[in-house]
Amino acid sequence: MVLEATMICIDNSEWMRNGDYSPSRFQAQADAVNLLCGAKTQSNPENTVGILTMAGKQVRVLTTPTSDLGKILSCMHGLEVGGEMNLSAGIQVAQLALKHRQNKNQQQRIIVFAGSPVQYDKKMLETIGKKLKKNNVSLDIVDFGDDEEGKLEKLDALFAAVNSNESSHIIHIPPGGAAISTALMSTPVFTGDGEGGSGFAAAAAAGGGDFDFGVDPNLDPELALALRVSMEEERARQEAAAKRAADEAARQEKGEPSNSQDATMVGKAAEATNNASEPMDEVNALLQQAIALSMENSGSDPSVHDSEMAEATNEDQDLAMALQISIQEAAKASSSQSDMSKVLEDPSFMPSVLASLPGVDPDDPSVKELLASLQGQSESKQKNEDNPPSDGK
Amino acid sequence: MACLHDHSCEDNDCSSNWSLYKHIDLPKVSALNEAVPGSAKSVFKPWEHRLNSSEEHLESNEGDPELLVYIPFTSDVKIKSIAIIGGTDGTSPSKMRAFINRDGIDFSDAQNMQAVQEWDLVENLNGLLEFQTRYAKFQSVASITLHFPDNFGGDTSQIHYIGFKGEATQLKRDVVATIVYELMPNPSDHKTKAESGGGFSQVE
Repeated sequence: MVLEATMICIDNSEWMRNGDYSPSRFQAQADAVNLLCGAKTQSNPENTVGILTMAGKQVRVLTTPTSDLGKILSCMHGLEVGGEMNLSAGIQVAQLALKHRQNKNQQQRIIVFAGSPVQYDKKMLETIGKKLKKNNVSLDIVDFGDDEEGKLEKLDALFAAVNSNESSHIIHIPPGGAAISTALMSTPVFTGDGEGGSGFAAAAAAGGGDFDFGVDPNLDPELALALRVSMEEERARQEAAAKRAADEAARQEKGEPSNSQDATMVGKAAEATNNASEPMDEVNALLQQAIALSMENSGSDPSVHDSEMAEATNEDQDLAMALQISIQEAAKASSSQSDMSKVLEDPSFMPSVLASLPGVDPDDPSVKELLASLQGQSESKQKNEDNPPSDGK
Repeated sequence: MACLHDHSCEDNDCSSNWSLYKHIDLPKVSALNEAVPGSAKSVFKPWEHRLNSSEEHLESNEGDPELLVYIPFTSDVKIKSIAIIGGTDGTSPSKMRAFINRDGIDFSDAQNMQAVQEWDLVENLNGLLEFQTRYAKFQSVASITLHFPDNFGGDTSQIHYIGFKGEATQLKRDVVATIVYELMPNPSDHKTKAESGGGFSQVE
């Protein structure tokens, strides 16, 4: 419940187009900012929040500190992404905006979202930090995006210069994990220096954690019950599938060494397949589970697509995976001698299937190689089933 | 201008002169560039305790001797003189600038604005030295901001005591400041007589 005036510095540079935070860095940032504004204004009705953007031709103040949440949210619309972020100017303009706040009793706080490289050197950032500390302004830094060119050190130096008695914070959010807003919700940026937080932030954070499915059984018992039942069904199904896959895996491990040796056509492929087969085992197990569930077949042969993977590792991983699945189906079908195998091995069928896959060119040499190996494979496999392992080529 | 006491200070005469200490609104005292937040309040003590250096004092951040202290009063006062006890080893402030009745001053404001009065200080370790004000300008002071831009060469600036001599009036400069605005209605504040039982309730 601290009485606070906050300026939020938004990074709207070119780097915000990146999709490593879904749907894009800019969107993730905007969501976080909206949540943050709501939390601040709720925690104390006299709190004010202002927004400015740091990139583009110049630092632009979208709104000066105000307690009107509608105004703040509306100015987040129609923001353009482009240019480079100017961290130093952004912080200084924020400080100026806070200096001229209406209510001088409010504590001053700046929240910076840094999602692109920082051009300024450490020295300059430290001077800025000291100036903020001297004027009793707290600074929260939200570091997201890639870490390059010493960005982490620079931000840490800035934080160290600003921090006085723990009123400032620095948060790092790595890409690919949780969204920026969810990651921020549990940090002191939202909860306000661990005072017990605003009801808003606490409720939002607890909503996911306290109950199994994020749904309060008291509020919505039917939904909670339905979720629980479907969860148990899914678990039972997965256990059955896992058991089946474990049996298959035990059987395949005996057959793998012999098949992987004569599967290769490239010179150093013997090592490559052995290397490839290790990471592929996990993938194999998962794929088998999925395929076993759908095909209800027993006796699969993952070593065939081990070799395919070796040839395809350098290019078109996605293509290889797709082919892998179709080849597995072919392998299963062939072992059980169904009509499907004939169809799949038909030389005209596979190219037509491939042609229908987006992004696959049937005339691509690697694709042709794979097709050839597929046909050669199924013949040689049937021959080799009873033969002792050969030494390879 | 500075003047020394011409009598011994063991009796209580002196302390009553420095009674403005009682009129300082201590919770609202704040300082900028202090190393320990909240330490500014410790420099305001009764005259007798001014030499108690065992308690904490106001110290600026390392490498930066500037200090800015904001002192509001509970009622309007007239300030005749100010006494400052600094620290040893060059940490005493060398200059003092005063601003009257302005709140929210920060360092850039302090450096650009014209002060109401400025003094060159000397190292004054026992607090017997006082600095007189131009009394006409200090007639109705609701708050005073003291800016210490420099010290005698130490790494930080230290202040152990600040005392004010003068008179307190019973007036308050800004009466409106004591009103608490109601931002969200609280029904318990609005009970009519009918609800609380008994009495006539009149609607006009």
